[in-house]
Amino acid sequence: MEGTRAALMLIDLHNHSCLSPCGSLEMSPTRLVEEAALKGISMLALTDHNAGDNLPAFDKCCRRAGIVPVFGMEVTGREEAHLLCLFGNLKTAVRFGYEIYENLQTIPNNPDMMGDQIIVDEDENIIGELDKYLASGAVDFSMEELIIMVHERNGLFIPAHIDRPAFSIKSQLGFLPDNDYDAVEVMHSPCDLNSRRYFEITGSDAHYPENVGMRSFEIDLKTPDFEELKLFLSK
Amino acid sequence: MKVKDLAEKLSYECLVSEGNEEEILDGYTSDLLSDVMGNSPEDSILITIQAHKNTVAVASLANINVLLICNNRPAPDDMLKAAADEGISVFRTKDNQFTASWKVHELL
Repeated sequence: MEGTRAALMLIDLHNHSCLSPCGSLEMSPTRLVEEAALKGISMLALTDHNAGDNLPAFDKCCRRAGIVPVFGMEVTGREEAHLLCLFGNLKTAVRFGYEIYENLQTIPNNPDMMGDQIIVDEDENIIGELDKYLASGAVDFSMEELIIMVHERNGLFIPAHIDRPAFSIKSQLGFLPDNDYDAVEVMHSPCDLNSRRYFEITGSDAHYPENVGMRSFEIDLKTPDFEELKLFLSK
Repeated sequence: MKVKDLAEKLSYECLVSEGNEEEILDGYTSDLLSDVMGNSPEDSILITIQAHKNTVAVASLANINVLLICNNRPAPDDMLKAAADEGISVFRTKDNQFTASWKVHELL
């Protein structure tokens, strides 16, 4: 099967931009995509906390760089575990982002203490900022409700870093409930939380440019395409 | 103390009464379910704001007979159904976890 190795694609489905208060200000979608291109990533997701306002800029940057964009969010569900919600369609993802942000129960952001939440365009011009603090609080949807919402919109649902000591399924629940996950993201494979039959991926969870691509994963895809990825994960 | 006697004394809203004849020997207050699994005593009442189906799964594994949902948090239908199936009672109060804990402690 040596011949198929050429089809291995480098994929990274977990990255933040300057919209995430914990993300570096340097981490514009432009910078994120540039770093990913240098690292040979074929398919890249932007997954800011509980909002998708930087996805339009991310889309344009990916197109410029010839990288396939995946439009995502790292949503904090009712259990306060972090959950990756990923879409192939920009409009769907942006609308889902508004719905999530609208529902997010949190405190107002204090940029001096918690960091900036900057919306930019594809040329790094600041076009706005978000008021609600994105990296704490939670939406009033359980994980099971979010799975249905994501699947109704043809997206992929992947619990983030399930074996991390905070904001994870492990820290919040202590076990991985049986649900319709498309995969699970792990810090360490094999993972010390029983990940059962679910396909394990790794993600960089990059907040700084130097972290982009540090924990990408490789799979055998015919073309780097969201539908191909869905097909691969459904097998 | 039986679950139903505790519930009556506190006059908390009863959402599921399946486990009302069970004895409560102890209590545990936590919103981290992994912590509940690791540390809660058996035959406890769990005082929490974690109102979702997975709370019931954890309660069942940890031999918890009754859940007390604080801050009047809405309890989804799938949670209440799971509790009924597992024979676990669910109560709700507008009290926060601190207030509910000392009220329950007084009675145990």
